[in-house]
Amino acid sequence: MYLKLENVRKEYDGKVAVDNLSLDIPKGIIFGIIGPNGAGKTTTIRMIMNIIAPDAGRVIFDGREIDDSFKNHVGYLPEERGLYKKLTLSEVMVYMAELKGTPPAVTRPLLDHWLSKMDLLDYKFRKVEDLSKGMQQKLQFITTILHDPEIIILDELFSGLDPINMELIKNVLLDLKRAGKTILFSTHVMEQAEKLCDNICMISRGKKVIDGSLSSVKAQFGKNTVQINIEGDGAFIKDLPGVKQMTEFNNYIELYLAPGADPSEILKTVVGRVKVNRFEVVEPSLYKIFIDMAKADPTESQRDQGGDHV
Amino acid sequence: MSKFAVILKREYIQVVKKKSFLIGVFLTPALMAAFMLIPAWLAQKKATSSEKMVVVDCSGTGMGERFVKELEVYKLENSDIPYYEIKQVFVIEPEDTVRFRALDDSLKYEINEKNLKYSVVIKPQPHLSDDSVYVVTNSDNFTSLTRFESRLSNLISSVKLEQTNINLPVDSVLKLTRRIDLKTQNTKGEAIPFQVKYFGGLIFVMLMFGMIVTYGSLVMRSVIEEKNSRIMEVLVSSVSPFQLMLGKIIGLGAATFTQVAIWVLIGAILFAMSGSAGLVISSDISRLVFNPVIVVFFVLFMIMGYLMYSTIFALIGSIVNNEKEAQSFIFPITMSLILPVMVGIHIVQEPYSTLSLALSFIPFFAPTTMMLRIIFLAPAATQYSFFSGILGESILSFIILTIMTVVIVWLTARIFRVGILMYGKRPTFPEIVKWIKY
Repeated sequence: MYLKLENVRKEYDGKVAVDNLSLDIPKGIIFGIIGPNGAGKTTTIRMIMNIIAPDAGRVIFDGREIDDSFKNHVGYLPEERGLYKKLTLSEVMVYMAELKGTPPAVTRPLLDHWLSKMDLLDYKFRKVEDLSKGMQQKLQFITTILHDPEIIILDELFSGLDPINMELIKNVLLDLKRAGKTILFSTHVMEQAEKLCDNICMISRGKKVIDGSLSSVKAQFGKNTVQINIEGDGAFIKDLPGVKQMTEFNNYIELYLAPGADPSEILKTVVGRVKVNRFEVVEPSLYKIFIDMAKADPTESQRDQGGDHV
Repeated sequence: MSKFAVILKREYIQVVKKKSFLIGVFLTPALMAAFMLIPAWLAQKKATSSEKMVVVDCSGTGMGERFVKELEVYKLENSDIPYYEIKQVFVIEPEDTVRFRALDDSLKYEINEKNLKYSVVIKPQPHLSDDSVYVVTNSDNFTSLTRFESRLSNLISSVKLEQTNINLPVDSVLKLTRRIDLKTQNTKGEAIPFQVKYFGGLIFVMLMFGMIVTYGSLVMRSVIEEKNSRIMEVLVSSVSPFQLMLGKIIGLGAATFTQVAIWVLIGAILFAMSGSAGLVISSDISRLVFNPVIVVFFVLFMIMGYLMYSTIFALIGSIVNNEKEAQSFIFPITMSLILPVMVGIHIVQEPYSTLSLALSFIPFFAPTTMMLRIIFLAPAATQYSFFSGILGESILSFIILTIMTVVIVWLTARIFRVGILMYGKRPTFPEIVKWIKY
């Protein structure tokens, strides 16, 4: 394994933020750490970054326990992000790369390429404070990858990004993956993980809930989910035999079937009562899996809410 | 280039290229030089015509005539015209106080009317009392007053010599006494006048205080800014918090020393220029400035004091959220630096009192206290020992300061790495203690 966490544990004032977490992250994939706020995602990432030291366990990169030299191989975009407002874009980019051990002479020829890719070339010699929030996010993303890191770690990457910029950055990430880079990102938005990740790990209250490749995780839960679009009131559906649970979304309804239930029986009943525009048997969404797994954890009900600690 | 050096360079350049830095560096000494040099320069510039004066001699020993003769050596620049135009030498019997008062009154009137510049009064028995020789004048011409002073001192010495029954030529005895004067200046503390040492000491201390507070609080502000702009976490994902902290402290420290170095350079140039321009800069001041113990320990205490205090400032920056929160912490720091100045007069008068010694060995007060004590004690010391006297005490005080600085740097590094990533509520003291253990 390329990047590996071995029984990593971190405690703050007696509260366990990360509990005995082990992760295997192979080279060249997009790996998602998924969990609600306060699950320990940021603490986990900070331990990988060697920003905070674990109380127990080890983080191993390429067969060696990480130290500060590891930092040069990583591009890190923290959840709390910012840049020097008074510097120009070009100054910020050169300085941030220099802090990663890449000399200005190496960085300078790359600036125009990335700036034009992110639609920021006109601002190269403007100050950071002149940029809009979205532009600053894109600039921050450039500074994360400018030094050509082997591993890119993105904490809640998409928070605050508009769809156009999200698409732009997503495409760059896919390019980077094709170039053999390993991308690790955390999110509490399941749909994003579902779109991007090869492998995922769900954590809740600092503990691993489930992990593996996206397809294997889904396979574990089987094809027991149905999405339907109907016209009219569908409230009766949840009382149908074989329907374990129903979730109404804005445009469609998701049904979770009891083991052994036959989707076609349900279709027959529903067609008899309302007009059906779509009926599809799908893999469970990560969201659903996560909710199920969190419920299966008996301690989950007493979970305390709160922001990421440290 | 190591990352530490990258940060150091950035912090340094960021400060040095600011306009406020240039203004501070060049305007401050320009103003100080203007204050000191322009009056002296103006005073000298005026001398294009002779200065009118009279001498009132009540000594009964003919000192007035002798004084006038001595003044003949002074000529106007590039000419043979005497610098002093002696209107008259009034010789008054020592007992004739009535005539003296009348004369004194009319001379004062003449001086007020600007018909006369100086009236040099030699009262009876001038060699017995300091008050019995004086000049009535409205002029501040430092050069002339200094000339009168030195000439009259010599005369009085001569008179004293003549009254003892030593049969030696007056000239050679005067030379001898001059040599003895020089020797006493080297062996006795009073050689450099109290005021010169006290104000010299205050200037050193205020320089140290100003630099430490100015640049120390820059360290703090820089940390707060990076915390506020949320850039901190990006930074510590590239460099260790310790590299970051030390890079800041030493980068800004380098800016401090650039500023001091430029000032010293400007001072040296002015000193050299004033010498060639014939301006009188007190040899007392140069003896303070060129004393090796003073210079070495000023540099040492300045460096270590800056390191200790700017580390404390970095600590504060790491635990607060904004500068407003920091204010309450800054006050005690300023106080501990300024306290030795407030009790400064005591320290210099009683450099070996319990208070003075205690302040010398408490690291927070040591840099400023020791600077005052060194300035007062070092020039007077006849020999230096590494284990006793002012040199020994300076070394001990410096060692204690260094140990304390190392402890503070260690503690701060522990707290800093946690504090810089804490936003929101200001931590309580027990929380900070816990961070040390993380």
